[in-house]
Amino acid sequence: MISDRITSNLRRTFRESLLPKIGMVLLVSIVLMAVFAPLLATHDPTRTGYYDEGGNAYPPIGTEYTTQIAVDGEIQEVEVTADSAHVLGTNNVGQDVYSRFVYGARISLLVGFSATLMAMLVGVPIGLIAGYYGGRVDDALMRVADTMLAFPALVLALALIGVFGESPVYVPDPIVSLGLADGMPESIPIPGTVTIVAALVIWVWFARVARGEALSLRNEEYVKAAKSFGTTDRDVLIGHVLPNSVTPIIVLATIQVAVIILLEASLAYLGFSGTTLSWGYEIERGQDILRTRPWVSTLPGIGIVLTVIAVNLLGDWFRDALDPNLDEGQRGA
Amino acid sequence: MREDVLRVEGLSTRFFTGEGQVNAVENVSFDVREGEVFGIVGESGSGKSVTGLSLVDLVGSPGEITDGELWYRDAELADEVREEFPDVVDGEYVDLRGVPESVRTSLRGTSLSMIFQDPESSFNPSLTVGEQIAEAVEVQQRASSRPRSTRARTDGEEYSLGSLVLSFALPSRRYVSEESRERAIELLELVGIPDPVERADEYPHEYSGGMLQRAMIAQALAGEPDVLVADEPTTALDVTIQAQVLDLLSELQAETGMTILLITHNLGVIARMCDRVGVMYGGEIVERGTLEDVFRDNVHPYTEGLLGSVPDLESVGGSLDPVPGNVPSLLDHEMEDRCYFADRCPKAMEACLERPPDTRVEADGDHVVKCVLTDLEYGESPPLPDDHFETEGADASDGGSNESADASDKSASPDGGDSR
Amino acid sequence: MSIAKFLVRRTLQAVFVVWGVVTIMFGLRAVSPGDPATLMLGEGATAETIARVRAQEGLDEPIYVQYLDYVQGLLIGDFGYSWRSNREVEAMVIERIPATLELAIAATVVALVIAIPLGVVSATRRNEPADYGATLFSLLGISTPNFWLGLMLILLFGVWLGIFPTGRRPVGLVEAIWTLVAFGSAGDLLTWLQHITLPALTLGTYFTALITRLTRSGMVDELGKPYVTATRAKGLPAVLVRYKHVLRNTMIPILTVLGLQMGTLMGGAVITETVFNWPGLGLRLIDALDARDWPLMQGIIVFIAVAFVTINVFVDALYSSLDPRVNDE
Repeated sequence: MISDRITSNLRRTFRESLLPKIGMVLLVSIVLMAVFAPLLATHDPTRTGYYDEGGNAYPPIGTEYTTQIAVDGEIQEVEVTADSAHVLGTNNVGQDVYSRFVYGARISLLVGFSATLMAMLVGVPIGLIAGYYGGRVDDALMRVADTMLAFPALVLALALIGVFGESPVYVPDPIVSLGLADGMPESIPIPGTVTIVAALVIWVWFARVARGEALSLRNEEYVKAAKSFGTTDRDVLIGHVLPNSVTPIIVLATIQVAVIILLEASLAYLGFSGTTLSWGYEIERGQDILRTRPWVSTLPGIGIVLTVIAVNLLGDWFRDALDPNLDEGQRGA
Repeated sequence: MREDVLRVEGLSTRFFTGEGQVNAVENVSFDVREGEVFGIVGESGSGKSVTGLSLVDLVGSPGEITDGELWYRDAELADEVREEFPDVVDGEYVDLRGVPESVRTSLRGTSLSMIFQDPESSFNPSLTVGEQIAEAVEVQQRASSRPRSTRARTDGEEYSLGSLVLSFALPSRRYVSEESRERAIELLELVGIPDPVERADEYPHEYSGGMLQRAMIAQALAGEPDVLVADEPTTALDVTIQAQVLDLLSELQAETGMTILLITHNLGVIARMCDRVGVMYGGEIVERGTLEDVFRDNVHPYTEGLLGSVPDLESVGGSLDPVPGNVPSLLDHEMEDRCYFADRCPKAMEACLERPPDTRVEADGDHVVKCVLTDLEYGESPPLPDDHFETEGADASDGGSNESADASDKSASPDGGDSR
Repeated sequence: MSIAKFLVRRTLQAVFVVWGVVTIMFGLRAVSPGDPATLMLGEGATAETIARVRAQEGLDEPIYVQYLDYVQGLLIGDFGYSWRSNREVEAMVIERIPATLELAIAATVVALVIAIPLGVVSATRRNEPADYGATLFSLLGISTPNFWLGLMLILLFGVWLGIFPTGRRPVGLVEAIWTLVAFGSAGDLLTWLQHITLPALTLGTYFTALITRLTRSGMVDELGKPYVTATRAKGLPAVLVRYKHVLRNTMIPILTVLGLQMGTLMGGAVITETVFNWPGLGLRLIDALDARDWPLMQGIIVFIAVAFVTINVFVDALYSSLDPRVNDE
């Protein structure tokens, strides 16, 4: 499936260019941060109420600022220094910004990768079958694909969440259940509908790419030969057509992970995600206090940008090394 | 004797690729006389196309002309640049390598023009053929309407982005004028395209290959060039069409008096068209002289091998598959310091393990050979054993070397490869 | 195939797509939890009123009758009444179109004006500082969520520098132009420009980045084609080679991608309108979703689908006029 030529191409492109290295380092760091979030976080990210004397959110460590304290019913401005326990301050409900930043990586990556995987598992077989058999099956698929594309992804997601609710799925945290981290949440909520919706929105792209590959391979001599020896269609598809579609699908998948991370963030920002531990949600939370507490919105945004850049850099690397013919047209959502 | 219109001295063109430096053209010298057809013949990957591109300054990145002089005869141009660049002017000749790029650009199309081997990919698919030829006419019209002395200097401002944007709003400001369109139709008629008025409005994909090659010749003629570089002008065509196109080139040459540099791998074409010939091998011209010198009195064993492979010189279809062995790799680090042909040469001697110099067969003639056999008889230096190169580098004959030859062929032929 | 035939076929496909969207929306409404009559009237309504409204709205009819009624209504331009405000959905959609259209057009203009020259420079000066700059910019652009970008722009230009207002749309473009023409006052137009700058940048950045990437890679491919060498060989000025020949051929495939990306543009508009409180369709859609106002939600989504397919048919027509080979296939 992955030939020596492909791996050597990948290796050469990686060696020759700086960008894939940056992407790799970034992504590995973010994945490590997500996996070891309970160990890296300083506070329970869901615990509220970390306020200064005046009942306001803390700014990042070391900032000298004034806060309002009510003394005997009168409000006084008091000079204080930020609490050293909260490295990046707290948000407007008094949660630790740094700990929430660390946990936010989990949601972005989990949704990004699992939705893409689901879309791939649905889209690739459908596309292969449609392209391989052609005719009516193919026509029907392409019309469905057009219809799906006519829905702006975000709008479709909003509609579906409106119907099915947010249905968060609580996943137990292995590190906490092993007792390695005290005082951290025992499970984290994955936004169920968002994940499924994301998969539903992008499967079409996988189907289209797989269809294209199947269509062009259908008439190849070796596929015809295999058929003439009595190989079943199923074996031809799995044994010949699928392996040849692997590289474009990998490239597409990488691009889609980036698209999904952005989509999840947007839905969380709009308040349709079902989990509050998301970078997108945190940005929305900071919006009301943007003028006075800009760090609350800024930090999770940087998290999203870095994650998506990392994935995009790896996507560019795969594309350059594997399939220069795939282009930006696949960046759909 | 007619005068030289072009003198190439020590031209070297290299490509700097991921796999290493490719010496596509190495220290090549020849001269082309006014009104003649000079042929360059060689196998795929011998550097002949890159030589052609180097002459019109169209070697694209990662390629670069690294050395050499290109003396072009143009009295007006010489007068114009003499003051500013005295070193690059010699009488009526100007070394094009020494003048600014804008000067070379201004000569393109109007003094030196080029046609390519694959007409179908050499036209822009989304503009009509007439429009594309009219563009070439326009280049010529605009160049001749201005005095030579200002031409090169103003070239940069001649057509700016601003004028292009303006032309979207005002049709009268378009680059191509109505007169040029009419001239384009005349040119199509000249090269023998029926119904030129209708055909001018058709797109390249509506033309047959032969028609399109005629259209490309019309396009090249539009600039009324002194020298036409024709790179494999008939390779992509059917045999019968090939003959027609060659006849057309001869006729047009007789009418206009232009000089043709004909690049081909086809010895039949050379025999039919050329006055003088250069044989290329491994990026070098290994033998050059008149048709007679090369075809009858040849010295270089490679030339002999080439000719031996063609049973009948009059047959236009005769192509090269001459000497056993592979075309040498042009990758710098794989090239050994010897005669590049020695590993395939039936007459290789120990003297061939050094680089042979260009030698004149007769002191005052212009039959020049890059081979020790010009001065030595075979056997005067100890012959090399047959397996000399096999033992020296085991990988020289296995698949590995084949692959690298392919790679260098690709990079050495940015115009799409000789092999097509 | 002639252009006319081609367009007829594409239009039929477009109609099919819109029908699909309508049907899916209807299906979603049918399976969504919550009784419509209760949603319409609020929790306090008596059973009697609810029953009356159910009968009035045809909610007691079998589902296929409801579906046919709905489709029939759409065909004559009747999108029904909003459950919340009891206004006609058509009117609620139409009044919000100018704001969204202004935003989408402004963003597209921003994207095209910046991206195409940037892509061209990037492709023609490969591996020079300009190329690295353009590559970095486009990487950042496709990786930045637009709502966050919007907030950061508000923070920088609105809060810290105070150059641009941070939300709302006090005046529409049409009214602004009208004031300029009728009263010779440019004040409204200036206000409009000030208010739309940040939203347009927010929505346009992703597309600017995307088109820059597309233009660069397309142009690099195109520059390697033999006709470019041939066109240079005939002495054509570099500007014409680059723009008349190469860029033109690069834009043909990009056009199709842009048509397909209209969905992303509309999704982006929803977000951008939310960030800047821009009173367009997107903001109304979010309100409708929050209120579970199905007729309004359906109306907006069907409208968006129609707009999407119309734009794509238009793009196809443009495509076939730019690429002469399409019509002969």
